[in-house]
Amino acid sequence: MSFTTKDILNGLEQAREAGFNDPSLFPQVVRQVLNFVTNDDILIKYWCSTFLKDVFESDTLKYSDKVDLAIDTMESLIYLSNVEDLKIFKHVIDIAITIFKLVFQFVAENDGCEDVWANLNKLKMSLTSKFNGTWPLKDSDDEEKDRFRNLLSKIELIKFIIVVIDYQTYSNSNVNSFNCRMVNINHSLIKRDAIQAEATSLLNNLLDIFKNDVLVPPLINPVIIQLSFLMKRKDQFVTKILTVIENFETHEKLQSNYQTIEEFKLSRKYVDRIIRIFLIHLQKFKLIPGDFQSSMNKKVQVLIERGDEIRRKNIVDPSPLDENIKKVKFTGFANFSKKVKSLEYKDLYSLNDESNQLNFDLSTLPPQVLVTMIMTAMRKVEGKRLNKALDIVSERYKYALENQEELKNKRIKLGMDDEDDDEDDGVTNYDTKSVYNLPPPKELSFQEKREQINMIIRNFFKLSETNIKEVEEAKQEEGINKELTKIAIKHWEKKSWLVILTRLATRGMRTIDSNDHSIDNDKNSELSDLIRNALMDFFLENIHARIDLIIEWLNEEWYSETVYNELKTKNEIKLKYMKEYESGNITDLDYKINEEFEKLDIPTPIYDKWSTKILTSIIPFLEANDRKIFIRLLSDLPVLSPQLVGQIKSLCVDPVRSKLGFLSIQYLLMFRPPVKEACLDVLKQLSEIEDSKEEAEKLLAKFSA
Amino acid sequence: MSETIVKSEVKVPDSLKICTVCAANNNRSMEAHRQLRDAGYNINSFGTGNSVRLPGPSVDKPNVYEFGTPYEEILNDLMSQNNRKTYEANGLLHMLNRNRQVKTAPEKWHLNSYAGKFDLVITCEERCFDSVVDDLMYRLGKGQSENEVSKIVHVINIDIKDDNENAIIGGNGIVELVNMIHEFRRNNKKEVDDPSENILEDQMMKILTEWQKNHSHLQTIYTVAYY
Repeated sequence: MSFTTKDILNGLEQAREAGFNDPSLFPQVVRQVLNFVTNDDILIKYWCSTFLKDVFESDTLKYSDKVDLAIDTMESLIYLSNVEDLKIFKHVIDIAITIFKLVFQFVAENDGCEDVWANLNKLKMSLTSKFNGTWPLKDSDDEEKDRFRNLLSKIELIKFIIVVIDYQTYSNSNVNSFNCRMVNINHSLIKRDAIQAEATSLLNNLLDIFKNDVLVPPLINPVIIQLSFLMKRKDQFVTKILTVIENFETHEKLQSNYQTIEEFKLSRKYVDRIIRIFLIHLQKFKLIPGDFQSSMNKKVQVLIERGDEIRRKNIVDPSPLDENIKKVKFTGFANFSKKVKSLEYKDLYSLNDESNQLNFDLSTLPPQVLVTMIMTAMRKVEGKRLNKALDIVSERYKYALENQEELKNKRIKLGMDDEDDDEDDGVTNYDTKSVYNLPPPKELSFQEKREQINMIIRNFFKLSETNIKEVEEAKQEEGINKELTKIAIKHWEKKSWLVILTRLATRGMRTIDSNDHSIDNDKNSELSDLIRNALMDFFLENIHARIDLIIEWLNEEWYSETVYNELKTKNEIKLKYMKEYESGNITDLDYKINEEFEKLDIPTPIYDKWSTKILTSIIPFLEANDRKIFIRLLSDLPVLSPQLVGQIKSLCVDPVRSKLGFLSIQYLLMFRPPVKEACLDVLKQLSEIEDSKEEAEKLLAKFSA
Repeated sequence: MSETIVKSEVKVPDSLKICTVCAANNNRSMEAHRQLRDAGYNINSFGTGNSVRLPGPSVDKPNVYEFGTPYEEILNDLMSQNNRKTYEANGLLHMLNRNRQVKTAPEKWHLNSYAGKFDLVITCEERCFDSVVDDLMYRLGKGQSENEVSKIVHVINIDIKDDNENAIIGGNGIVELVNMIHEFRRNNKKEVDDPSENILEDQMMKILTEWQKNHSHLQTIYTVAYY
């Protein structure tokens, strides 16, 4: 049985209530909840983070219980710190602050607990390492932009980092909270030099913010405020911090590409004010050493004057001094959206400002010029920047794949069909009155046609292998409609491919208008023969299973050829008598045509050729017991020429298969009167051969009468 | 003539915990307090001065009260003085009459730990802003138990001239800014290209710049601090 998120949350909520109401149950409840931290559902993870925050901030627990729980919670917290969720991460930082304090003191007092110390360091690393990035957000396309992104996590992380620095360095002044001095100097885990060095590097990292070329008040101001706290506790850092402040000047900073000039001017004002408050605060607490006194006093004075000056003016109004403001060199992309607006390459790849597109079609340049341009660009581009650009394009591509339908719909809704796009592309001289034609398709060369036909053949044979669900034949209408609606393919069936392929070979490759002896026609019949050969090979692969196929094909072959030749012959006759008809010598043209036509035999050379080929090919492979399929073939072929019948002779003289041969002849004599003469001829010939003499004479006696 | 305090009801369900701060917690912070309360926000107000100083019969003779002295009491005291006409003319009586309908007494910022932690502190004078930030620096690490973790607070100064009319104009501006911040927080459920667009701390400078452009006469200062 699986529980829904709601069930689990309800259960957790009840446990929480029990824990907060009964302190004796609390540790047990917390440990149970820790099992849910790794639940797949983000809602449950979030619930756990909220719960843990409340637990460690509450006063319900005994100190010793809290320390135990802090130790037990570390692993879950490390896990949660790597969950990509801002709300959870914010909670994690707050929980980590309490846990760090509790566990650090525990290790200080309990030398030898390597595992606990290792986990604490892992937790510390997991958090402090995230300060310079934008975790849990993904980095953007531009480092400069990232300085303004996810300030929330950074502001929260500053708290944690300050706690670490506080705990990992000794305090000279009297403090009533933990002081690193109290740790046994020979502690096997807490090595003073190492932890102090680490703390110093964390502080250096914080102070690096002052060296950024851009100003980010929501980040720099909270650092300044936390420094006021740190300076009171750690006089060893005073010089370092004041040196940084001394060298810091908001008016030397650059305007970011991600802030307006008004925002930049306000930023300078806001940071200046906090520095001023900070310095006056330090003066009040006598935290500025003698050698910094004069420079700091001067700085305060400058800031006060600057503040008064600003007060007199409207800061957001343009001022002549604005000209002195310099901007950071832009290294990002103007169009960095990871969502494409339409399913067009233009939108997929364009990283430039859309409103500022060069009205120039690069595709008009010769390829070699383009190649040179690309090579030069590739050599000049910074690897990191290229990667960022490719990241954006790949994200867009993913988005397009995931939202294909939506993007298509959007196009329809906006009426963005292709014609509109063309207009967008800058075709300004579009004339609605003139008629535009697509360029005629390029004629395929014979070689290309051959390739296409071969591809078509392969595709059709592939189709023959697929299984198609049979569709039940709809009840046919009676009467004349029945004939009118008669078509070869009503539904796509298993054998439909054959109908199309054979018709392509026959009717598809020539028309009545084409000249029989033209080059085109010859070429086309060559293409037809490609299909015919393929069909024959296909049949020969398995004659027993594919006999139906060959019958159908040869029937189509005969039928289409007969119709074609009949029409052609009639046209020729008509042409012959046309003049006489026009001069009045003949009154009934149709009668005359039919009269002449009746006298003629319509030849079917293609059918003859291929039916002979088929028989010649299969007869050597027939076995004594292939009676059924062979007789079937002989009975279902539309026409049997004397040559075809003659082929049976070879069977009759074969001692093993003579029975099959004579049986076939007997069948034809009985059921196909048009070939009776041909059969009798064959029998006569056989009667002159010793081995078949007896059987032949028997049949001759019976049928020649 | 005791009038009951209009019970402050938080009608904005997602209201941040806000407070307004001026020197005496009488004029600017109280006008903004009233307006924000009427708009339904969770609002308190404080003063950063050493004591409550109100205009007296002359510039060198102000009326001085301790923080915590009820507005009603101050009003009665002023009414009992000979200069009642002056106080009526300069709006002092009107102001106190309004105040006693908002809350009982002026409160001192530095002693406000009983009120809990605020998400948004709006000061009405640069001096008060300095005082609040200085105090927040002082509070860091002081008197905090090991359990206590400081939280983020946004401190904004909106410079308002200390008179009746400007207090009302300033109050309007404050309500507008508070609305903008809450509107942003409500909108941030929507899906955006970059999640940063939904983070208040990332967008606060943009919000303030926009507001400042429309209120050039109300100059601002802003910082993120810890509480």
